[in-house]
Amino acid sequence: MNQADLLDQFVIEARECLEAIGKRLLDVEQQPDNEALLNDLFRSVHTLKGNCGLFEFKALERVVHAGEDLLDRVRHRTLAYSAELADALLEAMDYSAQLIDQIERHGRIEGAADAASMAHASALRAFVCEPTSVPQLESAAPAATGARHSVPCQDDSPPWMKRLHLAGLTSRAGLLALRYVPEEGCFFKGEDPWRLARTVPGLLQLDIQGAGAWPQGEDRAAWDCYQCNLDIVLCTDAPRAEVEAHFRCVAEQVNWYAATPDAAADTSDVTSAVANAIGCVDPVSPLLHQRVVALWNDQCDLLERVGDSAGTVLAARNAMGHLLACLDNGAACAALAELPEGVQAASLLAWARANAPAAKEAVRAAARAVRPEPDIGTPPQRSDDGSTSQPQKVLKVGQEKVDRLMELIGEMVVAKNSLPYLAQRAEQVFQQRELAREIKAQYAVINRIAEDMQHAIMQVRMLPVGAVFQRFGRLIRDISRKLGKEVNLVVEGEDTEADKNVIEPLADPLIHILRNSLDHGIELPAVRLAAGKPAAGTIRIVARQESDRVIIEIHDDGAGVNAARVRDKAVERGLIPADKAATLSDDDAVQLIFLPGFSTADEISDLSGRGVGMDVVRTAIERINGGVELSSVQGQGTTLRLSLPLSMAVTTVMVIESAGRRLGVPMDMIVETVRVPAGDVHHFKQARTTVLRGRVVPLRALNDLLALDAAPVPNEEGELAVLVIRHANESVGLLVDHFHGASDIILKPLEGVLAGLVGFAGTALMGDGGVLMVLNPKELLQ
Amino acid sequence: MTIRYLKKHAALEGHVAVDDAEALAQWLLLQRDPAVHLGKCAGVHGAVLQVLLALRPTVKAMPADPFLAAVLGSS
Amino acid sequence: MHRILVVDDAATVRMYHRKILSDAGWHTDEALNGVEALERIHAQDGGGVYDLYVVDVNMPRMDGYSFVRELRRLGARHQAPVVMISTEAQRRDVDAALDAGANCYLVKPAQPSALVLSAALLLGDREAARTAAQGVRT
Repeated sequence: MNQADLLDQFVIEARECLEAIGKRLLDVEQQPDNEALLNDLFRSVHTLKGNCGLFEFKALERVVHAGEDLLDRVRHRTLAYSAELADALLEAMDYSAQLIDQIERHGRIEGAADAASMAHASALRAFVCEPTSVPQLESAAPAATGARHSVPCQDDSPPWMKRLHLAGLTSRAGLLALRYVPEEGCFFKGEDPWRLARTVPGLLQLDIQGAGAWPQGEDRAAWDCYQCNLDIVLCTDAPRAEVEAHFRCVAEQVNWYAATPDAAADTSDVTSAVANAIGCVDPVSPLLHQRVVALWNDQCDLLERVGDSAGTVLAARNAMGHLLACLDNGAACAALAELPEGVQAASLLAWARANAPAAKEAVRAAARAVRPEPDIGTPPQRSDDGSTSQPQKVLKVGQEKVDRLMELIGEMVVAKNSLPYLAQRAEQVFQQRELAREIKAQYAVINRIAEDMQHAIMQVRMLPVGAVFQRFGRLIRDISRKLGKEVNLVVEGEDTEADKNVIEPLADPLIHILRNSLDHGIELPAVRLAAGKPAAGTIRIVARQESDRVIIEIHDDGAGVNAARVRDKAVERGLIPADKAATLSDDDAVQLIFLPGFSTADEISDLSGRGVGMDVVRTAIERINGGVELSSVQGQGTTLRLSLPLSMAVTTVMVIESAGRRLGVPMDMIVETVRVPAGDVHHFKQARTTVLRGRVVPLRALNDLLALDAAPVPNEEGELAVLVIRHANESVGLLVDHFHGASDIILKPLEGVLAGLVGFAGTALMGDGGVLMVLNPKELLQ
Repeated sequence: MTIRYLKKHAALEGHVAVDDAEALAQWLLLQRDPAVHLGKCAGVHGAVLQVLLALRPTVKAMPADPFLAAVLGSS
Repeated sequence: MHRILVVDDAATVRMYHRKILSDAGWHTDEALNGVEALERIHAQDGGGVYDLYVVDVNMPRMDGYSFVRELRRLGARHQAPVVMISTEAQRRDVDAALDAGANCYLVKPAQPSALVLSAALLLGDREAARTAAQGVRT
């Protein structure tokens, strides 16, 4: 594990936190009094802030911290939740997402982030304190009082130390003193330096003065009480690391001084004297000793309040034994070990006080202590997952790892297909019948395993459609507010799963459909009320699985599509002749919006965008082998029905040959393969048809569709090979030259220059290394 | 939890927040014998403390917090 | 080799602490919260013994204080020292940790060498303690 892994983990968890925060913010808006939701929200923000602190991502931490403070007040009911507050938080989280993207790309935040992050933090903190004057992000430090931000001096005791009275303090080692002069504008940043000073761990003394002079006489009336003028000096006996952590957000405003009272100094003198006396080359470092003393005191503290917990007494005892071991104090270790096994807290405490390292001036053992071996016990055994009462464990895996695994399995699936071919060669070319049989047997085993692997990885790649729907809540909220409309979003079946490659391309089309609904579908509240509808419109997204398809329906209860207007517009745009338009039923007329070129410049609202029509939506969905249908009732609403394949992974295709070319046709489109005698083909003008099982089936030559200049080739008996496929609820027969067998392939969509090619679903790598072009019959037949 | 402005003094009770600082300052400036009562004061925001340090009203009762009392007591 | 159990609900923090501690030469395991930590301790059929616990305070299902209290009720061999880690730095939080039975309290984010120093001292690992003491910023 290295720093890069840690950073990756940070990014993963940070994004999870942001996602949870986004969702909860919307939830809380619906139920502002739900404590569980508020606490959940707070926890996510708190975790994110904590993680930022590990990496010194100051700009990010600043914003998140402001959010956390805000939410803390909200959940303690000292601040009311409001839409404005939610807006500010959402913006802050959007900004945080940007910073996290930077961290992912560069491993750090770019320097220019500070100003923006302070702006966001201030915007959040503005909800907490409302300063009457203009908040200043930068405070101009006055030069008058000189040493406001002086270089920390560590040598002799600085003059401000005189404000503390250390003489009367008990001799606890490692006293720390500091001077904290908050910057003038700190109140505007939402900071409270008094609270910060007051809550210093281990605080012993505290003194405050005015940093500059306080206003006198007439100046008092004009004095701004929100310009911070405090000069704070304090001392504490907490470990330096803790105190530094306490002040980390204002570290540059603090000067430190380690005030070591007499007792500790004596101890270290004694320590080194004794150490020299025994001839130890390596005396215990003062810091180590200091820490031991602090921890020893903690154990004493623990024993004081232990009550009757034998476990705690034992733990304290073990801890003290280890502390002594680290000091090489063999004699004390032995003495401790001699105490009775079930020693009472009070006795152990008394012993501990008497033998505390700091106070001990007695000579240490000359010989190095033999450290007692820790009790290792029996070697740990790996627990197997046999226990039935375990809740389902979740593993977080990066997406690229899953994709890589998928690729490899795909290659395996294809590679195995060459084995039957090999078996055939063994038998026919090399006369090795036995070998051929064995190869076939082994192939069966490998085939089964590969198919299982294939199914397993497809399960892993399945994402719930809710993953896409998640962002819609926010989208709808923002847009509906901008338009002055009220809209509720209802989502059903978000757990319905489909392959990642199907889910991800859905986002854009769905967003466009939703924008349409919000823009043109749902009416303004007043209009709705006048029509007898509730003021708030509802958009319902329903997802479900039907055999090997995923169906997603988007309903809105808005104005529906105006058939007459669509008709007129289509004619106006020259997409359809006027007489044809007049013959269309309303249901069919509404479908005209799918025509390319339907929506153009003067259709733009500021939201639906320029020229992105429903034709683009349809194309995008058909590209992933899906389909989209529209139905609408004027005045009542519109429904869009998307039908998508469950998976894009392995497809079974029928390999056919036409005009000397090998092509694949997806099996799920094929109704049957049949050989039709040439005499059974009827010609009527340009079209050919035949009758299959009592129904007329139109025939199209594949070569014609592919613009290949060749006629279909009949076989020896004068029969034509017809591949009957299902198209738009009808059967169509494709005339081809030969059928080859069915094959499992990994369909790769066309990319790059070929991406726009019409009529092809993609390519696939065959077992013999060749590339198969796979047809998209639907596109071909249009 | 805030400030009650009585005839002879301002009573600071509970936790006094940052937005009370200005009102307190203005009230103190108007009094002939400015005074505050901190007997029920649990805590103050730094700006409020600053007002007390700057305007030095008489403290009729000290707060329970010894550190706060020490800061206000010393002149 | 010393074995440490790191208990925290944030995956990033777990990774961070485990890295620091394993760089110091100790074996580490992790748990998501108090309940999982107890499962881990019990699951290994008598062998799940740790030499030190590094425990976060704020966790869902079972927080740090509750976990330590439960831990302190277990058998003698489980009574290893506990380092409690929290974002809060007030005296009352330290008190609560001690009341529950923790041996030491650190504030998040813990400076790496400070964490290692405390862990080394409570483990009785002399060499590691000396190395760590040299690394702590003075």
